[in-house]
Amino acid sequence: MPGIPLVTRETSCSRNADQMCRVESRVHLSEEEEIAAEESLSLYCKPVELYNILQRRAIRNPLFLQRCLSYKIETEHRRRIQMTISISRTSGGGGQAHNLFPVYVILGRLVSDIAVAEFSGVYRFNRACLLTGINRGECSSQVVANFILPEINKLAVEAKAGSLAILFVSHIGPTNTLSGVDSVDGSLYMASVPAVAGYCLWGKIPLESLYISWQNSSNFGLGQRAEIMSTVDMRSCVLKTTCLDGEKCLGFQIPFNSDSMHTAQQVQVTISAEEFGARDKSPYDSYTYSVIPSSSLSHMIRLRAGNVIFNYRYYNNRLQKTEVTEDFSCPFCLIKCASFKGLRCHLLSLHDLFNFEFWVTEEYQAVNVSTKADVWRSEIIADGIDPKQQTFFFRSRHLRRKKVKNVVQSGKHIHPFVVESEYSDKADDAQSSQGEKALISGHNVAPTMLQFAKTRKLSIERADLRHCNLLRKRQFFHSHRAQPMALEQVLSDRDSEDEVDDDVADLEDRRMLDDFVDVTKDEKQMMHMWNSFVRKQRVLADGHIPWACEAFSQLHGPNLVKTPALLWCWRLFMIKLWNHGLLDANSMNSCNIILERIHSEASDSKS
Amino acid sequence: MAKYSLGSEPVVGSLTPSRKREYRVTNRLQEGKRPLYAVVFNFIDSRYFNVFATVGGNRVTVYQCLEGGVIAVLQSYVDEDKDESFYTVSWAFNVDGSPFVVAGGINGIIRVIDAGSEKIYKSFVGHGDSINEIRTQPLKPSLVISASKDESVRLWNVHTGICILVFAGAGGHRNEVLSVDFHPSDIYRIASCGMDNTVKIWSMKEFWTYVEKSFTWTDLPSKFPTKYVQFPVFIASVHSNYVDCSRWLGDFILSKSVDNEIVLWEPKMKEQSPGEGTVDILQKYPVPECDIWFIKFSCDFHYNAAAIGNREGKIFVWELQSSPPVLIARLSHAQSKSPIRQTAMSFDGSIILSCCEDGTIWRWDVMTTS
Repeated sequence: MPGIPLVTRETSCSRNADQMCRVESRVHLSEEEEIAAEESLSLYCKPVELYNILQRRAIRNPLFLQRCLSYKIETEHRRRIQMTISISRTSGGGGQAHNLFPVYVILGRLVSDIAVAEFSGVYRFNRACLLTGINRGECSSQVVANFILPEINKLAVEAKAGSLAILFVSHIGPTNTLSGVDSVDGSLYMASVPAVAGYCLWGKIPLESLYISWQNSSNFGLGQRAEIMSTVDMRSCVLKTTCLDGEKCLGFQIPFNSDSMHTAQQVQVTISAEEFGARDKSPYDSYTYSVIPSSSLSHMIRLRAGNVIFNYRYYNNRLQKTEVTEDFSCPFCLIKCASFKGLRCHLLSLHDLFNFEFWVTEEYQAVNVSTKADVWRSEIIADGIDPKQQTFFFRSRHLRRKKVKNVVQSGKHIHPFVVESEYSDKADDAQSSQGEKALISGHNVAPTMLQFAKTRKLSIERADLRHCNLLRKRQFFHSHRAQPMALEQVLSDRDSEDEVDDDVADLEDRRMLDDFVDVTKDEKQMMHMWNSFVRKQRVLADGHIPWACEAFSQLHGPNLVKTPALLWCWRLFMIKLWNHGLLDANSMNSCNIILERIHSEASDSKS
Repeated sequence: MAKYSLGSEPVVGSLTPSRKREYRVTNRLQEGKRPLYAVVFNFIDSRYFNVFATVGGNRVTVYQCLEGGVIAVLQSYVDEDKDESFYTVSWAFNVDGSPFVVAGGINGIIRVIDAGSEKIYKSFVGHGDSINEIRTQPLKPSLVISASKDESVRLWNVHTGICILVFAGAGGHRNEVLSVDFHPSDIYRIASCGMDNTVKIWSMKEFWTYVEKSFTWTDLPSKFPTKYVQFPVFIASVHSNYVDCSRWLGDFILSKSVDNEIVLWEPKMKEQSPGEGTVDILQKYPVPECDIWFIKFSCDFHYNAAAIGNREGKIFVWELQSSPPVLIARLSHAQSKSPIRQTAMSFDGSIILSCCEDGTIWRWDVMTTS
């Protein structure tokens, strides 16, 4: 098993404090017990073997879950600097100082190509933090501003460019100069940027100076917190919010008649920074195994955060072997699971051939593993049976596609046939469930029914050349006449599958009407004409009736006009429709107009 | 079942042979080991009245009856599929006059063999199951009709290879169709019978335009607007068991079931309501030991006499058109023990052929009375 092997029994016995997760195991066993224990340990072999196979398969095509996990681990380990800014004191003209709050703290980037000459500085920014008071333990007020900076090496580039600075902006008087800026949850977002202008106080700390002091601090390099106190001069200026290239900008304009009335204002700022992501690391992380003396290895292993102890129980839970994995990795497939919780999910879902007990103490995390009594036996081939001779269905979309092609090519000579499995007698109880009828086929082809279903489906997508070729390979028959269809017909777009044979339908309709005894000949003919019309024109809904009546009058008008008896049948029928609310008076009127027009035309041509 | 009213009971023929004619075995031929199911003389073409065809297994054989009881083999065709088992054969001819042998069987494929060029002229597929009988329309020998296990009857144009009509559907047979026959004078009319115990009379009068169209059809046969005839004009329940052979005798119908008799009856159709009607049973021709199905009778060209074999290898020759029916002859031979599936009477009834379950063909010739 992978991981770092620990000495088995001795180790587990050596630490008495581990009672909760370790069962005392007997050190001394008789020879027989020894063998039995070995045998019981060997139960682990087959599931582990199976998981090794699965793991090898997963290398090429990793599970989605694992890809997510590795991303999560990566981001967690990325180093960043978290910077916390708080204003500890304001000094200046006594009572005036209090008026500085609220103060906006902004991480801004100086726009180098100043388009607007009147500004002494234009800064681009994303986020502004609003500080409302001095840290006096008041919960309601916002006292610190947090910023996340890239790691120190990346920061160097930014710092040397000298464009980044921390800005402090305070309004004067009761009016809020930053009215164009919305405050959401203590942070400020620029919703819309109207050109807001106003007097304010502002000060800045260039990031470069912070960077230099961080670099000089030895503690910071080791991942410890670095605190810098700094005093910022607040100068008065005119502030203007603008929008440049869709980004929020602040422009500061130092008025010419600056009487430096407020320059005396100073703010003392505490800036603390620490490397983010470093906090989780223990000092041991920076050591490698080679430098640690092996005697203290087991002790050290416990102290590392990502280390998990796995106890493999065997011989009726009387004995166990122990190993430790790093970074919350799974001992079976070496997947790093990011957290103990992740490991727990992973083990339970992917390695269900074992039982797991999870233990978490302040000192370490441990998992007790034991084999499941019989569950895995059905999934793992028993001894003495050649898996190659076992038949089973393996269905995969990709393969099935190929097979269809095969079937068509090799013709009808391959038919699946059913045989009794020979192994049903020999196989033990583990096999008996599979020892029923097994379907064996020449080339492992899908059953013939499937093949037909496939080919029929393909005819829909005939545009594809390949499908077209498939259509050529087999004789098709007409669904109504059962006559072999010529290729030209098969490939044509015409589909007569659900067509109604009008001639035959007419014939049958007439025959049906002939059965009526109390209906006159004209009525029968009228019925037949209407039935035939309705079927051909697919008059299905009530709403179709007005249209149908007009079209019928138009179509059969000459015929109706010629035989008055028929015409009366038609009129009576329309009245019946009107009675049922299917035909409105307007439509009936227009029908009669049509008939009248045809009538007059007929009489005109006669005369 | 038809009911008899007083005074109109059917006339049953007497089984005492009248000895009007006497027949004698003149030849016995062992064609093969597989049963022979059909034998038929060529009545279509007067040049070949002495030519007959047999089918059995996957083989179709054409023979000629010569003087003195001699049977000459003319042609033999073997289907490429050795699992084919032909059940029926009929004669037809092409427009140029060359005779066709039309055979069908278990595969449901109708083979049209051009006996003139000794080649397969066409093969008709369409039937969904085995074909039990094929008959030719004597008035238009390009038309053949086939009865199938798939409960349908199909009308084909042999010349153009078109399936013109399918007699099946709502009013069709409810089991295998075993036999079918064209009306001798009414070209629109056919009778079919089968394992649903009924005899159905169909009219194709309304569909005759399609029959005519089939002669001039030049497009693909699969594009022909094949029509379904769903309703017969008459349904008769004359028998209470499988009806395995039916023939028109004028407007009357001769039909047989497994009841040891051939029945002659008249379908009386009601003008008003097609499909309904009554049956008037006229005469009965007893045939002892004829209680298994698929034994067919045959008549001479003028339907003066009918010959039918039985389960024990005997043949009964009945005079059809006399009342009461007269048994012309009862033919038996010590070696003829096997069931006779079908007989064939020559044009004038002077030769009777029988084909047997054991694969033999027997020829009986009428003895000239001195």
